[in-house]
This record gives sequence, structure tokens and C-alpha cells, in this order.
Amino acid sequence: MDAGRHPNIEVFTNSELVKFSGNAGNFRAVVKKHPRYIDENLCTGCGVCTDSCPVAVPNEFEVGMGARKAIYSPFPQAVPNTYIIDRQNCLNNDFLVCSNCQDVCDRNAVNYDDTGEEIEIEIGSVVVATGFDVYDASAIPSYGYGRYENVMTNMEMERVLNSSGPTQGHFVRPSDKKSPKKIAFIQCVGSRGEGKEAGCQYCSRFCCMNAIKDCMLVKQHEPDIEELTVFFIDIRAAGKGFEEFYQRSLDIPELNYVRGRPSKIVEDSETKDIIVFVENGETGEINHVRVDMAVLSTGAMASESNKGLAEILGVELDENNFFNIDTKYGSPLHTVKEGIFVCGCAAGINDISDSVSQGSGAAAEAERFASKLRIEEKPREIKELDISGPLRIGVFLCHCGINIAGVIDIPSLQEEAEKIPDVVHVEKNVFMCSDEGQRLIQEKIVEYKLNRVVIAACTPRTHEPIFRENCELIGLNPYLLEMVNIRDQCSWVHASVPEMATLKAKDLIKMGVAKARYLQPLYKSSIPINQSVLVIGGGVAGMRAALDLDAQAFRVTLIEKEGRLGGRLNNLTKVYPANLNAVELARTMVERLQASRVEVMVSTEITSITGYIGNFDVATTNGNFKTGTIVMATGSDVYKPETEYGYDKYDNVITNQELENILNDSRGKIIINGKTPETVVFIQCIGSRDPEKNAYCSRYCCPTTIKQAIRLREASINVVVLHRDMRTVGAKAEEQYRHARSLGVKFIRYTPERLPEVTGKDKNADSVKILELALNRILEVPVDLVTLACGMVPNKESTGKLHDILKVSIGADGFFMESNAKLGPVETTSEGVFLAGCVSGPKDISDSIAQGSAAAAKAARFIARDTVELEPTTSTVNQALCRACGLCVDICDYHAPALVMTDSGYMAAEINQALCKGCGTCTSWCPTGAITSLHFTDDQINAMMDVLLAGKE
Amino acid sequence: MATKATGKKKKSNIKVFVPNLVVFACNWCSYAGADNAGVSRIQYSPNFRVIRTMCSGRVTSGFVLKALKMGADGVLVSGCHFGDCHYIFGNYKAVDQFEKTKALVKTLGLEEERIRLEWVSAAEGPRWGQVIDEFVEQITKLGPSPFNYKPKYEN
Repeated sequence: MDAGRHPNIEVFTNSELVKFSGNAGNFRAVVKKHPRYIDENLCTGCGVCTDSCPVAVPNEFEVGMGARKAIYSPFPQAVPNTYIIDRQNCLNNDFLVCSNCQDVCDRNAVNYDDTGEEIEIEIGSVVVATGFDVYDASAIPSYGYGRYENVMTNMEMERVLNSSGPTQGHFVRPSDKKSPKKIAFIQCVGSRGEGKEAGCQYCSRFCCMNAIKDCMLVKQHEPDIEELTVFFIDIRAAGKGFEEFYQRSLDIPELNYVRGRPSKIVEDSETKDIIVFVENGETGEINHVRVDMAVLSTGAMASESNKGLAEILGVELDENNFFNIDTKYGSPLHTVKEGIFVCGCAAGINDISDSVSQGSGAAAEAERFASKLRIEEKPREIKELDISGPLRIGVFLCHCGINIAGVIDIPSLQEEAEKIPDVVHVEKNVFMCSDEGQRLIQEKIVEYKLNRVVIAACTPRTHEPIFRENCELIGLNPYLLEMVNIRDQCSWVHASVPEMATLKAKDLIKMGVAKARYLQPLYKSSIPINQSVLVIGGGVAGMRAALDLDAQAFRVTLIEKEGRLGGRLNNLTKVYPANLNAVELARTMVERLQASRVEVMVSTEITSITGYIGNFDVATTNGNFKTGTIVMATGSDVYKPETEYGYDKYDNVITNQELENILNDSRGKIIINGKTPETVVFIQCIGSRDPEKNAYCSRYCCPTTIKQAIRLREASINVVVLHRDMRTVGAKAEEQYRHARSLGVKFIRYTPERLPEVTGKDKNADSVKILELALNRILEVPVDLVTLACGMVPNKESTGKLHDILKVSIGADGFFMESNAKLGPVETTSEGVFLAGCVSGPKDISDSIAQGSAAAAKAARFIARDTVELEPTTSTVNQALCRACGLCVDICDYHAPALVMTDSGYMAAEINQALCKGCGTCTSWCPTGAITSLHFTDDQINAMMDVLLAGKE
Repeated sequence: MATKATGKKKKSNIKVFVPNLVVFACNWCSYAGADNAGVSRIQYSPNFRVIRTMCSGRVTSGFVLKALKMGADGVLVSGCHFGDCHYIFGNYKAVDQFEKTKALVKTLGLEEERIRLEWVSAAEGPRWGQVIDEFVEQITKLGPSPFNYKPKYEN
């Protein structure tokens, strides 16, 4: 929706790239717009055409479970909000002459002869974000998808559980529409496959969390569910907050996790129940599990469109048809062709949060080639209308085709509205939001000298910006407009009782007019901002952010606490999955930083930061300066084991970082304690996934262990990995895991109830005891070296300090909290302050780099302008009424109010307009009524109640 | 998601009380949820009027008490689910306000069931309809508020 409305974003939907040429910064592309058969500029999205269409076909958005018409909107929030005709199913063709939709369309938007068009555009760079296709579960015949009614996929399950889905959120099984009591979830369908019919070899990454979430939702929907069983190989809850979510799911008594990959599924032909055949991976038993329905957690495949697109763009695909990454930057965003970037699932499977980070990151990379095409915004100069004098309110009634007028009696509404005091004109139109309707509003504002406007139409959430802009164009302050929602919350939901709907609409209009009487013109203010960025932390994420911002010619200062740049990269040998030399990567980045205009300050610490959005004053141990935005990339610490597995007792029990150091020093031969070890045992999850210590999964340790295990195995050392779940979720990580197994690395699972035991003599550990679950026997492994895979922990000192200085919230895990876990992974609730890398939770190198780029894009977006516009609908203090109790200061999560000394010499609260978000909570807490929430004032709300309840008293 | 309170047009001599409810909905979740109910064409009781605020934390005891004093039979305050608030913790503050309001409502001698606090997300259109229907039913059972001097009855 935001992209569709953005003035600088041109969206081509239903379109395809057909030709592409040129070099980075100067590409030419030809886009073919396929015919939509509906004029986007004329269509208002009213939906009358759909009602008239006689054809019903399966709805793709509902995964075929619901029906749609041949003229349809693909899904509720589609952009553009217009319809499209599916000509293959349309009855207007050579043989038939249905023209229902054309006949009912008041806007004449339907054109059966539309042929589409080709558009040539000049572009600086390309971001490929083609997403993924869902694996076709019917390719695994033994699971019976498509043959058995009660076997559905996770995608279908999503729609069934959705309250706006085909069953309106009623959870029922397909065969008899009864709510199932026993459900089985089968993981890794089409993922992590072996053999021909098993789909792809990689891990699809999101399905574990998806199944856990679905289980939680089912339990919420159906509290009396009897059995929820998840059949899995490894539960891969590797992402911020994911492990905690998984742990919470364990509290559901009906939910069982069973390790095992079902061999087949059969249907009881009488009851249509489903029987799952599975070997329990922990007990070795063969079980037949009878359930009411089974959900297949289908994996993700590369988008079918990748092949054609890669050919046109001139870039390569990998063996799975994902876009190939140029690994030399350590970043997951670069293709081998300069100026072409990838994000999300175009180059491998990612979850939402990582896809969003990559999307922002790709934007930063793309900007370096597009920055010369930057658009200068020209301010509009419009003379403001004189609104002085008595109230002159205009009421505009929208029919919205038949959406409103078909239910509500518009003439009686008009009659009623004309009777309201101060209303000088009432106008009605078929579509107020159409060009014609907008013009009408403008004309009437001038003609009747209106100084308040009430528009009764759809919801302000989508249309207020449109009508506000319209008022602004004619010179009426946009905040003198009030919208009344008589469609979404009236005609649409009370269609069965039209008189009641009309009555309600009349009340709502009266309330709207009542509020309008108290509306005051408000003006957007703007404050100048310092167009520079401070990056705190010179690790891989911080360096990436600094480089990306510098490439766009922004002023950047990079501060590092230590004496040299590089952060954790300095302690690594090779970076997975491409085995990139870590030292080399660090060196290239540092060299590029030295060659850039970035001001690098090492051995420097922040002492204080004051100020607000766009205007921060920074004091460091190395001098003071001003900055507009801040990127926090201070990283994390590695967990330091205490007495776990004899770390304090035995010399040959070391951490994975200590092993990395050894591998780093030993070129060629691996010598540990003077000799090449025969057997090395890795123990996973030290300091992670432990509710007592750190509940989260540190995510990087499993792939790191695989990387180190392969290195050791290649030197003919026996390697045994003791793990709880192998969480190889990153790009190519599953492939590396497979490679390690093929090299003969042994993987043995342990449970937190039966931890492995390390025993030894003196200072030397000599064996590890582990209960092998499938054999139900304790194995004793003689060892020369035990490596503890330690998780990441927040750097308490630096996060604590930055928290005190910048007031960015810290989560329960001790890491900084992002503004939205899914959609705002690098943003914070403090405007102009961004996060990158491990400062917000454990990440590997590649994810950290993507976040560095993402933070750069977000910061650039902010400082590209020299001022920042402030929304005027904030709260203000009447200081004469304030008694400086400080309640507002205490409750505001944005730290907008502060107690100050007024010019008259007393203490009072003052609200910083740059920090206030306008929620109005302080207004409701103020005991003296000194605070006013502009545009939602007490007067306005009280006036609405006064007219609504008049006569009841 | 059919509603029980509407749609019936049977003539009978028994007069049914039609409550008059004021609903405060936050802009980001509940108001959006109500819009979503519209988009999904959920049908529910029309016996309420919505006042939009930016956050449920904005709804003071004063607003609720004013509505009751002026004869509203019930007041519903609806915000975002915990963790979903557009303003981080505004809904937690709404809880604090609501507890205060509840105490005052009891002091006034009104039934505390006349006021209600709910969480409805932007995607929960059907739930919005359900919440409204439930509340209308609850207030219908309670009967007109003692402050409502002109209660409405319908055949």
C-alpha cells in the first residue's frame, strides 16, 4: 500500500521484463504490461463488476479453496486497487457475448480489446525480488496429497486459519466440514530431500516456525483439540525470538513433537481419517498414527520466473534455479553483474525478517548506481483560503457506486444533513474519490466559501490522505477535513438492515459535523537536520553501513572502541558458506574505508549523545560533533563457558572460538597440544537454548561447527558432533551439513534432560559419554579434544550504555529491540536511530552485512532531505495549566515530554514535537487538562458524544 | 458470522430493548479491524457508534463517564493486542485507565458490565463483529442504563 501510494515509486503490476541492456548506472529496460482489460485510472475498485460476473473459478489466493469471478481483484489489499479480467475464463469471447461487467461499470473502465503495452525505461540498477514458488506436494505420491481429502498443505492451512479465508476462520477438515480433533503436521515435505521424489535438498527455513505457529493458532481456535503432532527431523527455530516461541509451544499439553520422517500416509476410506506411518527417530519404534487430518509443511522452490529473467538480465542461476551470489563481498545481495542485486527468496530461502533486511540492503546497494537520478522535490505554492468568519460546513456524500447507495438511503441522508446547523451545502456524487468527485469538492469549497469539509464515504485509513491532498490543492488546510465512514463500517456490514444502516449513517454524519466544528487548521512544521550519519561499531555490519552510505556521498563518521576495525571478523579463518577468507574480507573492507571519505575514529568511545531526530550532539573520548542519524552496530559478545563439560578443569576442552584461533594459526597441518588429534567432539548449544541462561538460539553455531568439522575431517581427524537439532538454516548451510555427513562426520543427538558427560584425568579430558537415543545405549567416545559451540550474548556494557543514552528499548533477551520484529528489523522506536548486525540478536557474517546495508538504506532515506517534516497531529501543553507533576514524562515511551523552566520562571511540561507520535496517552493522563491532542481534542470527542446522545439525558 | 440481534423482522407485541452503545476504537488495530469486517462483508449488529482515537491509551475515564452520564447504555474501548500497539505500550496504559474507570462506574452504582475493554487486531474483522454482537447482547440483557431517560424499544 505504501509503495503504491509513494509519489516516487511507479508500480507495474501484471507486467514482465522483456528486454534489458546497458551497464550499471545506465540500464535500459523494456517492460511489457500485460492487458488488464480495465483502465486503472478509471476503476475505483467498487466491486460492482465482480457481483455481475456469472463465471466462478477457483481462487488462487485461497489456494483453490474459495471461488473468484472472471473479473476480480486478486486479494483484498491488492495494489493497484483495481480489478482485472481473466480472459481465459471470461464469457466475452468469439463465441459468447456476455458484457455484464461493461454494462454495470458506471466509470466505463472495462475494455475487452485491451492489448497491453510495452514501456521502455531508463534505470540505474536492478533489484531482483522474485520470491518463491511452493513445492507441489502431489509430487510425493506416498503422502497422498491430492488423493486424500484430509491431507492439506501448510499454505492451505494458512488460509483456513485466516479469519478472512475461505471458511471465515472456522477450522474444519475438508471431507466433512467438522472441526478436527487430531492433527498431524509433517515437516520437510519437498525440503531436505534425499532421492528423486523428495524435492529439493536445501532447507526451506520457514516451515518449522510456520508449523509451530499453526499449532498455537489451532489451540487458540479450538481449545478442546485432542492431539497435535509435529513429525520433524530438526526443529529449526533459528531467528530472533523463534526459540522462545518454540519453548512456549511446549507448554501446550496436547502438542507433541515426534522426531521422524513419515514413510507414507494412507486414508481410512470409510471415515476419511488419515493414518501416518512413521519410525520414531528416538525410540526406533514403527508407529501408525491415526489423525483426523494431516498438514504437509511444503517447502519453497525457486520462482519459476527466475530462468527467463536471469537470461534477460544476463546473470546466472545456481543448480536450484536461485540467483547466483557473488560471494566476494561476503554479502548476500550482489549478483555477479554489477548493478543487479537480489533479496528475499530470489537467491535462497529466507524468512520475513531477513527478507525485509535484505530488501532494505538491496535498496542501499541499488542507490549507489541510481543516486545521480535523484529527484529534486519542488514545493508547491498554493495560496491559502480565508477561513475566518462563522462556520460554513460542506457535507459530501459518496454513493461509492452501489456500495453505499445500494444500502443507505442517500436522499434522506442529504435531507438530514441539510438540517444540521452550520451546514451550508450538501453534495452527492457516485464516486467522491474519482477525478470528477474531487473536482466537485474543490468547486464547492470555493463556491460556498466552505471552511470545514465533511466527507461521508469509505474509511479515513485509506482515503483521508487523498481527500486531504485535494483540499490542500485548493488552499484549504487539510486538517479542516473530517471523514465519516459510512461504507466499510456501515453499508457493508449492515446490508441486511438498510433502515438501521441509514439511521447509523445519519448519526455518524452528525458526529462528523460536530467534530468538524472544532477542527483547527494545523501546519506541518519542518526542522533542519544534520545530513550526516554516525556509525557506532567498526565490525562487519558497521563497516558495510559506512561504505554504503559513503557511496551515496553522505557524510559518515565510524567509531570503533577497539584499536582496529574488523570486529569479530579478525578472529575468524574462513567464512561459510563460500569459504571466503575472513582476514582477506576484513582487509578489503578496511582498505575501502581508508580510501573513502568516511571519517574513521578507532579507540574511541561515546560519552554522551543528546538531542533528537535529525539533530544529535555526540560527545566522544576523541572530540565532539553533530550528527543527523545513528546506526548502532556494536555487535555482541561470545558466551564464556564456566564449568560446563569440564571447561574449567580440562585443558583440552576449548570453545569454538579457541578452535578457530588454532585453525587460524596452523597453516596446513592441524596441531593441537603438540600433536594432531585423532578424535574431536563438538558439543552444541553451550549458553544457548537454555531458559536458565539464554533462552534464544544463537543461530551461527551450527553452521560454524559444520565448517570447522569439515576442515578437521579433511585433515583425516574423526569428528563427532553432539547436538540437539542441527540448525543449518543459512544459504547453502544444509548443503554443507550434507557434505559433512558424506565426509564421515558423525552426528549424535542429545536432549537437555540427558546431557553428554565429559570425563578425564588430571587436566586432560579423555572420553565423552552420550546416550544414543535410537540404540538406547550409552556410548563412550574417546577424545583428544572437546570443542564447545558457544552462543552469542549481548554486550551488556555497551548495550546498557547506549540504552541509557539513546533510550532504545532492550528486549527480554538483552539485545536491542527492533521497531517491528518482522517488518522493521533495523529500525528502532527512536526515529533516526537504526540497528545493524548482532546488536539486535545473534547473526552470522552474511546476515550482518545485509543488515549493515539495510541500516544504510534506512539512514539514507532519512538524511536525503535537509529537513524533516513533522506531522502536526501531536500533543501540546498549555503551560499555564501545568503543575509540573511529571506524569506525562513518566508514561511517554518516546520521551517527548520533559519538564522545563518556563520564561515566567516556573516548572512546566513541554512536548518535543519532533519526538511526539500523537498517540494522546499523555492527554488522558494529565490531571489538570493542560495537554491537548491536536486533531483528537477533548472538545472534538465530547462534541461527537453530545450530538450522538442528545435527548437521552 | 451471522448476527442474532439484527435481520429479524417478526411482528410481535413483545417490545425488545435496543441498546445504544458508544465504541472507542484505536486507529491502528481496532478501527482497521472494523474496516476489515467491512471488506469481508461480515454482518453484525448496528446498535453502536464508533469514535476513532489514535490509541486506546487516549480514552480517559472522562470520555467513558461522559458517555454513560449522557445515557449511553454501554461503552466499549477497543485497542491493539498486547505487543501489537502502534505506540509500543499505549494499550497497557489503556488497561490502567480502564481499571480506574471501572472503579468509578461501580461508585456511581452502575453495573460494571456496562463497560468493556477489548483487543481486536487489524486482521480480525470477524472478531470485531463477534465482539460487537456479544457486547450488544450483554447490554440488551442488562437493560437500559438508569441514565438513559429515553430508551428505545422495538417490536
